Amino acid sequence: MSSATLYSVSFALVHDVLFALGRAVGGPVGAALRNSGLITGLALLVFAGILLIASLLNTIVLIWYERKLLGRFMDRRGAMHVGYAGLLQNFADGLKLFRKNTVRPREADGLGFYFGPTAYVVTSIVIFGVLPISSGWNAGALPLTLLLALTIFSFAPLFIFVSAWSSNNKYSLMGGLRSAAQMIAYEVPLLLAVVAVVVVAGSFDLTTIVYEQQNYWFWGPLVVALIVFVAAMLAEMERIPFDLPEAEAELVEGWNTEYGGMLFAFFMLADYLRALVGSILVVLLFLGGWTLPTWVPSAATSFPLAGILWFMVKTYIVFGLFVWVRASLPRVRTDQLLRVGWNRMIPLALLSVFLAAALVTVRCVPVFGCVPSLGG
Amino acid sequence: MSEMWINMGPQHPMTHGLWNLRVRLDGELILDVDPEMGYLHRGIEKISEDRHYNEVITLMDRCCYVAGMAWEHLYILGAERALHVTPPERAEYLRVLCDEFQRLGSHLMWYAAFVQDLGLMSPFLYGMRDRDLVLDLFQSYTGARMTYEYMRVGGVRNDLPPGFTQQARKVLDWLTDRFREYDQLCLGSTIFRKRCDGLGVLKGPDAVRNGVTGPMLRAAGVKRDLRKDRPYAAYDRLEFDVALADGADVTARYLVRMEEMRQSVRLLRQVLDWLDGHPGPVVADRLPRWLGAPYAPVGAEGYLLKRQYPKGVGFAAVEEPHGEALAYVVNEGGEHPYRVKFRSPVFANLSAARTYLVGYHVADIPPIMGSVDVCVGEVDR
Repeated sequence: MSSATLYSVSFALVHDVLFALGRAVGGPVGAALRNSGLITGLALLVFAGILLIASLLNTIVLIWYERKLLGRFMDRRGAMHVGYAGLLQNFADGLKLFRKNTVRPREADGLGFYFGPTAYVVTSIVIFGVLPISSGWNAGALPLTLLLALTIFSFAPLFIFVSAWSSNNKYSLMGGLRSAAQMIAYEVPLLLAVVAVVVVAGSFDLTTIVYEQQNYWFWGPLVVALIVFVAAMLAEMERIPFDLPEAEAELVEGWNTEYGGMLFAFFMLADYLRALVGSILVVLLFLGGWTLPTWVPSAATSFPLAGILWFMVKTYIVFGLFVWVRASLPRVRTDQLLRVGWNRMIPLALLSVFLAAALVTVRCVPVFGCVPSLGG
Repeated sequence: MSEMWINMGPQHPMTHGLWNLRVRLDGELILDVDPEMGYLHRGIEKISEDRHYNEVITLMDRCCYVAGMAWEHLYILGAERALHVTPPERAEYLRVLCDEFQRLGSHLMWYAAFVQDLGLMSPFLYGMRDRDLVLDLFQSYTGARMTYEYMRVGGVRNDLPPGFTQQARKVLDWLTDRFREYDQLCLGSTIFRKRCDGLGVLKGPDAVRNGVTGPMLRAAGVKRDLRKDRPYAAYDRLEFDVALADGADVTARYLVRMEEMRQSVRLLRQVLDWLDGHPGPVVADRLPRWLGAPYAPVGAEGYLLKRQYPKGVGFAAVEEPHGEALAYVVNEGGEHPYRVKFRSPVFANLSAARTYLVGYHVADIPPIMGSVDVCVGEVDR
C-alpha cells in the first residue's frame, strides 16, 4: 500500500482548497481560512463524510447482493428492473419509504418511539469509524479499536428494547424481549471467541491483529473460535436461523411491527449495517483483513487500492455465506436458541480460548489449515 | 409477563387467510386458544339455491382457492345423485385426474406455506414453482389456473387436448425427483426436526372425537381415506395405498402429505395410461335439456321435462386434500337445487385447535397451524 491514508488525503484536499481560497480572498478573512484548527476540523468532517458515504453505499450494494443471491438460491432472478440488473432497486425502495408517512400509534411513547430507531442506526454507523478497511483507512491508531467496535455493537439490544417497549404493542414487546434475551445470550460467546483472537494476536488493535496474520490467517488455528464467532454473529445480526425476534410467522414483524416509512427504513438499514460490520469483523479477525498470503504474486497486491479491493472481496464472500445460511435453514425457537447459546456456545468458546492459549504457549507450528508462510 | 390475550388475526401472517386465533399467553406459553372463523362468509350455500345446477360449479371453485377441483367434484357427485344422472366412465377417470392433480397442487401449496412459516425461504419458492407446473396442466385443459369450472352434471366440460398425457407424465417425473429434494431440505435438517417433532400432538381418539379428518387423522395412525373406504368416481378401479404415520405430530403430518403426493403420482400414472387407451364420450347423453344448457331458450318440451323430472336427494363424500368434505343436495324438481349443504373438513380441523395447541409455545403456532393446512375459503363458505 502507498503511504497515503484516507485522513491524509482528506486533510490535503481541505488544506489545498482552503489555502487557495484564503489567498484569493486575502485580508483577515483569508488568514482565518488558513487557520490550522479550521483545516483539521474540516478535514475530519470530510473524512467522516467519506466514511459515511462509503458505508451506506456498501450497505445498499450489500442488500442488492443479498437479494440477487437469495433469488438465485430460490431459482429466480431477484431484482431485475430498476437499473442494470436491479442495482438501483434499493434506491427506489428507499425513496418509497422516505416518501411515506410515519405513523405513531396513539398510545406509543413518543420519545422512545423515535429515539430507538435513530440511536440504533446512528450507533450502527459509528462502528465504521473504528474499523480499518485497509492500512490507511482509519483516522488514528487507537489501541483498543476491537473493544470499542464490539462495545458499540452491543448497544443494539437496548435501543431495540426501548423502541419495542414504547411501541405499546404486544407483538413488539415480545419481539423486543426475545431480541434482548438473544443478544445478551450471544454476546458472551462472541466476546470469548474474540478473546481467543486477542490472545493469539496479543493486541486489541484491529490493525495489529491484521498484521499478525501476515504469516497465517487465524481461521486455521482458531477454527473453533471462528465457528463460535460466526454463529454468535448470526444471532447478533438476527439473520435467519436466529431471526426469531422478527419472526414474521408468529410475531408479524417483531419489535418493528409498529414502524413504517423512514423509521422502518432505519431499522432495515441498521440491520444491514450490522450485517456488514459482522462480515467485516470476520474478515479482520480470521481472514487476514486486507492482506493476502505472502505466496500470492505481488502483482495482485501492489496496485493502488488493492487492499480495499481484496478486503471487499473477502467481506462479500463472508456475507454470501451468511446469505447461503439464510436461504437454506429454518428458524429455531427461543428456548432452543437460548439453550444452545448458554449450554453449547459458551463451553465451545471457552474451549477456543483454551486452544488459543495453548497455541501461544507452544508457539504455533502451522497446524492443519494454517496457510504456511513461504516468503517470510 | 403476566397472562394476556393476543389476537393472531384476522390479518396476521400466520393465518393464511381471514380468521382469528385468539391466544391466551403466559410469557411465551400457550394457556388457551379460541379460533374465530366467519370473516370470509359469502353465503355460498344460500346462493346455490338460486342458481342452475351447473351454475353452482362456479361457486365451488371459490370455496377453496387451492382445491377448486375437489369441491367441484364433491358438488357434482351430490348433484348427480340428486338428479339420477350417471356419468360415462371416461368422465370418471377424468375426474380422478382432476382430483389427484388438485391434491398435488394443494399439497405443494401447503408445503410452500408450511416451510415459509418455519422460516425456510428457498423451499417455499420451490413449492410454488412446482405447483405452477400443475397449474399449467390445469390451464391446458380447463383454460383456468385456479377457478376451473370444468366438471358438469353428467360428466366434464371437454376432453383433454392432444399431447396432454405426455406433458403430464413429464411433470410427474419432475415432481417425483423434487419430492426427494423436499425431504432432504426438511427431514434432513436438524433444526426442522427440532421445530416439528413432538409438536401439536393430536392423538387418534381425540382426532376422531373432534371430527378431525384428512392428513391430520391419518398422521395419528387412523386408517381412514374415503377414496378407499367409500370409493367414488374411478377410485375402486385404481391401485394406491393410504398414507399413514403414527407420530400424530407435525412431522407425522408432513410425512403423510409427502406420501400422499407420491401416491397421487402413482394414481395419476394409472389414470393417464387408462385415458390413453379408452377414448369415449365425456358427458352422459340423454341429459335433461335444461341441465345441458342453462341459458338456452326453454321450449314447451323443456318445461314438461322439468315438471316430470323425478325428485331426489344426493349425498356425496369426497376425500379432499384437506380432509373429508361432504355435500348434501336436495332436488325438489325445478332447475335450481332446493338446498345445498356442505361439510368443510378444515372447519372441524380448526375447531379442534385447543386440543393440539395448548401447552406449546407461541413460536410453535406457525408450524402447528401450518401442518393443519388451513384454507379459509371452505371454512366459511
